[in-house]
Amino acid sequence: MHWSELAIELTLMPLVAFVVGLAMVLMMRKIAARLQRRVGPPLLQPLYDIVKLYGKRTQTSHGMLHEIGIVMAVGGYVAAETLLPVPGMNGIAEKGGMITLLYLTMIPSLGLALGVGQCANPNGSIGISRALTAMLAYDIPLVIVIAGVAIHFGTTNLVDVIAQQQAGGIATWGAVQMPLLAIAGLFALQGMLGKQPFEIYVAPAEIATGPMVEMGGKFLGGLFVMQCFQLYTASVLYVTLFLGGGENWIAFLAKAFAVLVIPMSIAFLFPRYRTEDMITMLWKWPVVLGLIGLAFVGS
Amino acid sequence: MTGSLDFLLLLSVVGVPLAALLAPSVVGRWLLVLLYVVQLVELALLGSGDGARSAVSFSLLGHSVGWQLDALGWFFAMITVAAAGFSAAYAAGEWGTLNARAGLSLRWLYVGLQVNVFAMLVLLAAGDMVALFIGWELTSWAGLLLMLLAGGEAIAAARRYIVYAIAGGMMVLGGLLMTLAAAGSLQFDAVAAAIPTVGTSALWAITLLFVLGFSVKMATMPFHLWQAPAYAFSPAPASAFLGAISARMGLFAIALVAIKLIGIVQLDRLYLYFDALNLRNLLAWVAVFTAILPTFVAMKQNDARLLLGWHGVGQGGYMLLGLVMADSLGSAGGLLHVFNHATYQAILLMAVFAVIHRTGTADLNRLGGLVARMPLSFLAMLIGIIGLAGLPPMNGFVSKWMIYRALILEGQPLLFVATVISTLGTVLSVYKLLHNTFLGQLRLEHETVKEAPWSMTIPMLVLCVVVFVTGVAPGLVLEYVAAAQQALGLAPVAFILGGIDSPAGTLDMIWVTAILLAGFGIGAVLFYLMGGRSRRVHQLDNYAGGHFLTADVRYQYSDNFYAGLMHRIRPWYRGSFAWAEEALVSTFGAIATAARGFFEQANPAHWVLVGTTLITTWVMWHALV
Repeated sequence: MHWSELAIELTLMPLVAFVVGLAMVLMMRKIAARLQRRVGPPLLQPLYDIVKLYGKRTQTSHGMLHEIGIVMAVGGYVAAETLLPVPGMNGIAEKGGMITLLYLTMIPSLGLALGVGQCANPNGSIGISRALTAMLAYDIPLVIVIAGVAIHFGTTNLVDVIAQQQAGGIATWGAVQMPLLAIAGLFALQGMLGKQPFEIYVAPAEIATGPMVEMGGKFLGGLFVMQCFQLYTASVLYVTLFLGGGENWIAFLAKAFAVLVIPMSIAFLFPRYRTEDMITMLWKWPVVLGLIGLAFVGS
Repeated sequence: MTGSLDFLLLLSVVGVPLAALLAPSVVGRWLLVLLYVVQLVELALLGSGDGARSAVSFSLLGHSVGWQLDALGWFFAMITVAAAGFSAAYAAGEWGTLNARAGLSLRWLYVGLQVNVFAMLVLLAAGDMVALFIGWELTSWAGLLLMLLAGGEAIAAARRYIVYAIAGGMMVLGGLLMTLAAAGSLQFDAVAAAIPTVGTSALWAITLLFVLGFSVKMATMPFHLWQAPAYAFSPAPASAFLGAISARMGLFAIALVAIKLIGIVQLDRLYLYFDALNLRNLLAWVAVFTAILPTFVAMKQNDARLLLGWHGVGQGGYMLLGLVMADSLGSAGGLLHVFNHATYQAILLMAVFAVIHRTGTADLNRLGGLVARMPLSFLAMLIGIIGLAGLPPMNGFVSKWMIYRALILEGQPLLFVATVISTLGTVLSVYKLLHNTFLGQLRLEHETVKEAPWSMTIPMLVLCVVVFVTGVAPGLVLEYVAAAQQALGLAPVAFILGGIDSPAGTLDMIWVTAILLAGFGIGAVLFYLMGGRSRRVHQLDNYAGGHFLTADVRYQYSDNFYAGLMHRIRPWYRGSFAWAEEALVSTFGAIATAARGFFEQANPAHWVLVGTTLITTWVMWHALV
């Protein structure tokens, strides 16, 4: 591939991710509003929010690491998006693969954790300790799912995973071939997104939004951007592993949004679990389902 | 110009009296660092190619004993000498001066370091099994020198270590004798040739004796209890050196005996229940539990040194796991992890000791907020923990990625999931380390703390560069790993400068890192160039719950950092191994007391009774059978 083509892809992929992510945030809010019999925000509200936060006059920094944390949180996702193939663009997906992507998406979280740590607010530290615990909880079913998918398709290369599913049609989709893993994957997705019932680390009434407690202005704006990327990454990864990726942009976007409807609808119907209950929950059902699914993959 | 093994060994022997002579003065200590540089250059000149032979050889009870350094030994030797050099440099300046004033014997420290290097070279260059045993015992006892230096808690830990080490040595000796009986020779070639003809039960005995004996040094389960305290409570440079490489001598010896001499094909003859449970699977599971359990023990520690010590035990599990997978990717990952672990573990221990140097404590509940006071040490620890946790772009990620991939491709999903659990535990644990030391609330008494002196920060930062560069371009190290694999008789890994090229999934760290840095660049542009200007507040200007907090109120969240997690998993920490060790100790205590009682009561009449009983039993036995 010519370098200029690659450069365009590497620029477009994060940009697309951001725009789609904004729309996903909007969808999340719309769903919440409908469930609560409200009208919900207008089309461009997510964008207005980011502009507003960036433009705030009071921008309190607790030190350089606080700022670098936000840089890492956004930058890590910008990088991660180039490892996630979209229709017509593979970026550098073939140079990394799913394990690299999995670990690369921990970088933004680490950045956030560093930034919050420097703020010296105990609520923030408690939030991070809970967020990392949540990660330990949902990543175990997630890696079972990843292992199953990698063994099923015989590769860790996401481009190959998509190609195999698209060549064989719907019957070869991960979700059809590995339904148990697909269900376990949904649990992990819910945890990854940090939505109810797994949002004890935010817990506004108890620890004052945890990691976000010292974040104002563009610090919070950065986290908003990070959330857009996070929604996009989680849902596109799921589409890639289980729903055959995107044959074209319309199918791709339809699948990506459809996948997110499930966790978002669940989220606004449930209260939150306590940390220990969240661990029990995520280490029980999705893990059991995942291990049974894995046994089928292996045989 | 080529090097010679004899000159290298001579250098390292001469280094011992030199260390005793030069260590007390600052200039002398820097000269000793120079000596390590010379040793490293000499080693580099030897090259990782096929074996430089030593002219020194002798005959012991009819067995010729000699030394020859192959690519595997060379790989470990480079790490050893470099680790010693960095540790020596760390202590050469202010650290040495101040600690000598506080009563530490620098002579013993530097002599101990050099003796360890010499002992390890003797082990790594072993040309036959007698030389291997000599090296093994030297290494075990040399380690004790460094552990005893600090006094106090270190003495108890060292005592425990030496009991384990002697037990391990006995098992190795047993294996040696079994090998001699089975093969009739102790030369590597002869042993390797004879192994296929050895019966299965004898092979079981030989393999288990060697592997268990060497595992003691690796501190794989169930021999994991001694290592963390023994390494953690040594003086800073000793701790960094021991933590970086010492335990890996066990891995070297296992690789040499189990993979090179016995060989994978022969190992697969050993199974418990058809092929489903063979020795290699068993070892893989032992390795995985070694990777998981010590990691979760580390998470609970409140002393930074112990936390790192336990991680050292856990990371050994990855190396063993990669090695027993024995495919080209997994074994390369295991060997590469030896190098990677040595680099980041040395950084982490140095950073922790730098904090101790400035604040006097490694207690994770008595620190916090030091990031603005000791930014370089913070940076070093940050890079170190990214390496230890195995996240891109540091080198720890590459070796772990290779092991993960090998496990997936070899159809071992459960082992893969288990190793990831260990990695996730590591992420939690190292964040606690970083947070409780450098982040969160600064204590008032630490407001005037200064950055560690240059003599301490430079070795850390140079190692940080190594961790980053070998993370971006792992091919630099994989070249020597592949040579070591060939020396072991394994298929060498197919590597490129940026990582691994394979049809089932490539890893090119140059691209991944470039993209990551570009991403950070975009993140920085978005943050710094857009939106309103941020205003920095003083580190002690904080509030919580609507109240301004004065700095004398302590609100650092540090103790029981993962309270929710611990609430769930605390019942799983049962201390079974510590209990088993205790039980063994008390059993021996009871037997010893009984024996002493008998001895004190003894008079000739007792002996007559004992003698008659034994003879009668013997006669009856023979009459009956």
